[in-house]
Amino acid sequence: MLKKILIANRGEIALRINRACHELGVSTVAIFSDADRQSLHVRHADEAFCVGPGPVMRSYLNIPNIISAALISGCDAIHPGYGFLAENARFAEIAADHGLTFIGPKPPVIAAMGDKATAKRLMREAGVPTTPGSDIVASVDEARAVGEQIGYPILLKATAGGGGKGMRAVNVPDELPTAFATAQAEAEASFKDGRMYVEKLIVNPRHVEVQVLADEYGGVVHLGERDCSVQKPSHQKLIEEAPAPELDPAIRTRLHDIAVTAARAVGYTNAGTLEFLVAGDDVYFMEMNTRIQVEHPVTELIYGVDLVKEQIRIASGETLGFAQEDLHPHGHAIEVRVNAEDADNNFAPAAGTLTTVVFAGGPGIRVDTHVYGGAMVPPFYDSMLAKIVAVGRTRESAVLRMERALGETRIEGVKTTVEICREVLASPDFRAGGIGVGWLPQFLARRTAAV
Amino acid sequence: MTEDVIAARTRALAGALSAAGFARLRVREGDTEIEIRRAARPAAPADDAAPAAAADGFGARGERRDDLVTSDVVGVVRLARPHVSDGQQLDGDRELAYVETLGIRNPVRSHGAGRVTAVFVTEGQPVEYGQPLFAIER
Repeated sequence: MLKKILIANRGEIALRINRACHELGVSTVAIFSDADRQSLHVRHADEAFCVGPGPVMRSYLNIPNIISAALISGCDAIHPGYGFLAENARFAEIAADHGLTFIGPKPPVIAAMGDKATAKRLMREAGVPTTPGSDIVASVDEARAVGEQIGYPILLKATAGGGGKGMRAVNVPDELPTAFATAQAEAEASFKDGRMYVEKLIVNPRHVEVQVLADEYGGVVHLGERDCSVQKPSHQKLIEEAPAPELDPAIRTRLHDIAVTAARAVGYTNAGTLEFLVAGDDVYFMEMNTRIQVEHPVTELIYGVDLVKEQIRIASGETLGFAQEDLHPHGHAIEVRVNAEDADNNFAPAAGTLTTVVFAGGPGIRVDTHVYGGAMVPPFYDSMLAKIVAVGRTRESAVLRMERALGETRIEGVKTTVEICREVLASPDFRAGGIGVGWLPQFLARRTAAV
Repeated sequence: MTEDVIAARTRALAGALSAAGFARLRVREGDTEIEIRRAARPAAPADDAAPAAAADGFGARGERRDDLVTSDVVGVVRLARPHVSDGQQLDGDRELAYVETLGIRNPVRSHGAGRVTAVFVTEGQPVEYGQPLFAIER
């Protein structure tokens, strides 16, 4: 078993990893920026190093300072969490070069899955269904030719993209030149990589993803699916649940099988997630995330498996402690992301001081958070303050429990997404289950029109 | 760290804190961590406090301008030879130490002349970003 792990992250996920380590008897080293000196993740770790000032480029993305902190504190591994350096193959390589175990898949797999066009090609070769589309297109004219072939609407995507950046929907050919130019400029600015590809735009699909775990000896299992279709207009997830409601059992099984096949095909190790679009009876591979995900708790609560501990065990060289037939989900779990954002103003992020922070408790509620009353929300980072997760025997009981928990939650000082999530949970469409990714933007538009 | 050393360090840090205009300063060495916060400055400074502070050489009202030289990186301190010591006069810009990060030497310079009023680190000590290494009276 690994003995001492540097947690290369901040916020709730740094705390989450710290908890898993301590339960396993593993020592922890936190890193923090000047802006996070008072953060809980710093206090809970066994040791902590300031690695730079507030801006992420100089702190949480500062590879030399992070690796140096791991070495001088005697760590044998680094857990990257999500975001920041989690899917940076170069960081994983540098860690390995310094004798540090990177808790995640091998660098070439991170690199291949991180390049979306490459990932899609590898999946296609493994027999995984992908959306019709192109490889890298060099120009607007090439994109236009692909569009004519697959039919509109199409989606322009940056191969280095993520979080909705460098992505544009194109409904008719006339929109193509402007969309191509703006998406490419955005990709170059955000990822220093302006290579674009084209795929068919699947209208209002569901976002269903499958969790996999793979050890270093060929053992691969899935831990079912999560439905993350409640997405903001920016394509960021807001509410996630497991299992996916109102999903045809045949499609569910197919997704699970595809995920395991695909993970094996690319030589995947550690925890990972394959994201799919589901439209009617069709499923399409979208991308693979080579890290722990924000919404992992919904899977943990229905499978009774601690995914972060499993990541550490796998990285320690252990085999999976269970086979597929040992894994059975129980009940239903829902997660709500409490972000410091103004839902009435296009989810603009808010910074400031949290004057009141009271979270819910009671049966079936889990709150993963790093904030407390009096804590500052710095302007430099992701706006997520907490994840509230509710589990119940049925979807209905989980939803009712979540409504109760959100009712108990009091966060003052900055605007949060608690209220909009309550409205979503109360809506008949969400209650019915099976909504697509286009649902929340429409719901928001109707809500604005009604005011 | 013995109590005497802690007391001496605390005094030195208080001086550095006051001189450099920092609100808060934290230094960690082994198992000991010293954190000092400056109380809000009163609107009308108490005159009787000034002589005592001046006698200690700590310039409680910031009339003396000490610069804190901090680490820009996370690494291990290597002091320049011969080592600089408390009270030493520096005639000009000089390399006081370097901080080694992944085999790269990051020089720590005095950035001009002055008198060294505190050396906060020892040879081979791990330091974090922003950690005070030296205080220099200009």
